Amino acid sequence: MYFDHSATTPLHPNVLDLMHTIQKDVYGNPSSIHRLGRKARSLIEISRKQIAKAINSDPTQIIFTSGGTEANNQVLKSFIQSEKNHVVTNPIEHPAILKVLSSNSSPKMSFDLVPVNEKGRVSVVEIESKIQEKTGLISIMLANNEVGTIQPIKEIVTLVHQNGVSVHTDAVQCLGKMPVDVKDLDVDFLSLSAHKFYGPKGIGILYFKNKDDLSPFMLGGGQESGLRAGTENIASIVGMGLAAEIASDELEIHISKLKSLESQFKTDLVSFFPDAIFNGDLKNKLPGLLSVSFPGHRSDILLAKLDRGGFFVSSGSACGAGDVKPSPVLSAMGLTNEINISTLRFSFGSSNNSEQVERLLSELHAILTD
Amino acid sequence: MKRITVGMSGGVDSAVAASILIEQGYDVEGLFMKNWEEESEYCSAEQDYKDALQVCDILDIPLRSVNFAKEYWDRVFQHFLDEYKKGRTPNPDILCNTEIKFKEFLNYAKDLGADKIATGHYVRNKEMDGKAQLLKGLDPGKDQSYFLYGLNQHQISSTLFPIGNLEKPEVRHRAEKLGFDNFDKKDSVGICFIGKRDFKEFLQQYIPAQPGIIVNSNGIKVGEHDGLMYYTLGQRKGLGIGGGHSNGDGAWYVLDKDLTNNELIVGQGHEHAGLYQKCLTASEIHWISGKAPENENLKAKIRYRAKDAICNITELTEKTISVEFEEPRFAIAPGQSVVFYEDDVCLGGAVIDKAFNS
Repeated sequence: MYFDHSATTPLHPNVLDLMHTIQKDVYGNPSSIHRLGRKARSLIEISRKQIAKAINSDPTQIIFTSGGTEANNQVLKSFIQSEKNHVVTNPIEHPAILKVLSSNSSPKMSFDLVPVNEKGRVSVVEIESKIQEKTGLISIMLANNEVGTIQPIKEIVTLVHQNGVSVHTDAVQCLGKMPVDVKDLDVDFLSLSAHKFYGPKGIGILYFKNKDDLSPFMLGGGQESGLRAGTENIASIVGMGLAAEIASDELEIHISKLKSLESQFKTDLVSFFPDAIFNGDLKNKLPGLLSVSFPGHRSDILLAKLDRGGFFVSSGSACGAGDVKPSPVLSAMGLTNEINISTLRFSFGSSNNSEQVERLLSELHAILTD
Repeated sequence: MKRITVGMSGGVDSAVAASILIEQGYDVEGLFMKNWEEESEYCSAEQDYKDALQVCDILDIPLRSVNFAKEYWDRVFQHFLDEYKKGRTPNPDILCNTEIKFKEFLNYAKDLGADKIATGHYVRNKEMDGKAQLLKGLDPGKDQSYFLYGLNQHQISSTLFPIGNLEKPEVRHRAEKLGFDNFDKKDSVGICFIGKRDFKEFLQQYIPAQPGIIVNSNGIKVGEHDGLMYYTLGQRKGLGIGGGHSNGDGAWYVLDKDLTNNELIVGQGHEHAGLYQKCLTASEIHWISGKAPENENLKAKIRYRAKDAICNITELTEKTISVEFEEPRFAIAPGQSVVFYEDDVCLGGAVIDKAFNS
C-alpha cells in the first residue's frame, strides 16, 4: 500500500492509455514537416495549452524540461552571467536549488540563505534584509516536500519586485493539491514535474514570464524556442498535458479527499500514540502530506518494519550508501536530532482510501507497541 | 520462517552467503554498514554499496543501510592510533568484529526484527555440549577464525556463516552463475579504512612522526628511520638500508624497537637469531567457551596466515598469560593477537605484549 505520493505518484490510468497510443502511433519527429511530424507537433502544442490553462499562463511562456531538477537548474544558471547574480533562498529548498548554488560550476554566483521558523516558513522581512545591489533572484519553493508548509510567495513577490528582483518558485509538490496560478502569484519563473501529479517521470515544465531572462540549457536543434534543444519526448509531454488537465479539473475533489484521509489518520494515530508530533505549518500546508515524529522510535527501523508489512512511506532522512542522516529540512526547522531521526512522512494520494488508512494505522499500532 | 539479516559488504562472499540462505528457505534481508566517513578516491563505499545493491536486486531482497562511523572511530580507530603511538602493531579488524560487526550491527539487526545475522566470513560454527563453538573455514587459504577469536557465546550463536564450508573458487563460481557483477571483484586486503593508499602518508595525518636512527644489534648506526610507528617486527622491505647482500650476510630485518631512545634495531638475514622467539606474554585473554581449556599442547597462530604451532599456556593472572612454543616463532609482534586452536576449533586468544626467549 502506497503512502508516498510526495516522492512520486502512479500514472493516472487515462494518462497511461494515452501514452501507450502515442508511443505506438505517433513516432514522427515534431521537427519534420511531413504529416506524421505535424501530428506530433500539434499534440505537443495541445499539451502546452493544457498546462498553460492549468497554471493560468500563456502557452508561449512554457518550455518542456526533463523535470523539476532541470527547470530549477536552468533558472539559476541563467543568472550566472548576469551582473545581478546574487541569489536569496532558504535551507529547506530541494538540492536541485541548493547544490547548484554551492557547486563549483557557478563560482561567480553568491547566495544567502534566510532561515525558516519552527513551522518551516520563511520570513518576508528576512528576505528583504538579504537583498543587496547585486541580488537578481529570490528562489523559494511554493510548498515544502517534507512537511508541506506553504510559503508566502505572493507577499515575497510584491516586496521584491519593487527592488527589481525576480522570483522563482519550485512548485513541484503543488499541482493538484492547491491552486497554482502564475498570474495570481505573479512569479517570474515556476518549475513543475509531471510525476508528482500522476503523470510520467522524466518530464516537467519551466514557466517564465519573459523569455529574455532565460539562457538556453541544452544547445542543439533549437527546439523549445531555442531554450531547450533535443527531440521532444512526445508521449511524456502529451501524458503530462492530460495529467495537468485532470489535476486542475479535479482539484477540489482531490483536496477534499486528501483532507479527509489526513484527518482520519491523525485522529486515529493520536488515539493510540498521543506522543506523535506533527511537523510543519498545520494551518497552512499541502493537504494529504503529514510529517510525523514518533519520539523514542527510530525512523529507519519503523520504515523497515512498515516495508515488510507492505506499507510504503518515507523518512525525511536521506538514505544513501550506509548513511542515515538527519533531514536538513527538519534540522533547519529546529528539530533536535533525536526527534529528527524519528520522523516519517506519510503522503496520501488518489489511490488511497479510508480502509487502507485503517490498515496502515493498525500496522503502525502493532509496530509501535511491539 | 526465520528472518536473517546478512551483512552485505558489496563483496562476493557476503553476496553468496545471502544466496545460500535464500536457497535454505530463510527470510533474508541485506544490511550495508558504513564505518568510515570519507569522500575520496580511496574510499570505495559508494561502489561497494552499488555492488551490494545489484546483488540484492538479483536476489529480490531489500538492502538497508546503517552508519556506525562514530562508534568505529571511538572504539576501533582511536585504539588503533593509541597502539601505534606505543610502537605496537594493532589489528583493527579483530576489534571491528567484536565492537562493531558482532555488537552494533547485531543489535541493530535485532532491532530491525532479525532472529539472527549472517556474514560472509570463512568460518563455521556449531553447538557442542550446550556451548557455541567457532571452527576454521574449510578453505585453508581463506580461514578467518583468527579475526573472530574475540566473539562470545551470544555473538557466535546469533550468527550464521553460510560459506564457511566452501572454498573461494566455488564461491566465485556460484556468484558468476547467479549473475552477480562482483563475482571477480578483488579480495580486500590490508586495513579497510586505509585502502590502497600509502600507509605512511595515512598515519602521518594522525600521529606526528619522530625520525631517528637505525642501529644493528651491536648498537652501530646503519641508517635513519622516519618514525618507529612505520615499522613492524620482522619487516624487510622499505628500511632504506642499501646493500647487505654484497657482504653475504643477507637482507636487513627489523628485530626490535627501542622506544626510549627512538631507535630501530635491525639485523641481517632471515635466520638472524633476534628474529625468533619461543615465548610471549599476552593480555586481554578471551576464551570463547567462557573458561580456559584444560588440554595441554594446544596450537596457536601469532598472526593471520601464520602456521599453527604447538605451545603451552600458563595463566599468569586472570587476564594475562604466557605462552611457550615448542619451536621458535618468526617475528612475534606486540599488538597482534595470539589465537589458540584445538584442531579446527578456535578456542580464543589474547593480545601479545612481549616476545622473548626464556
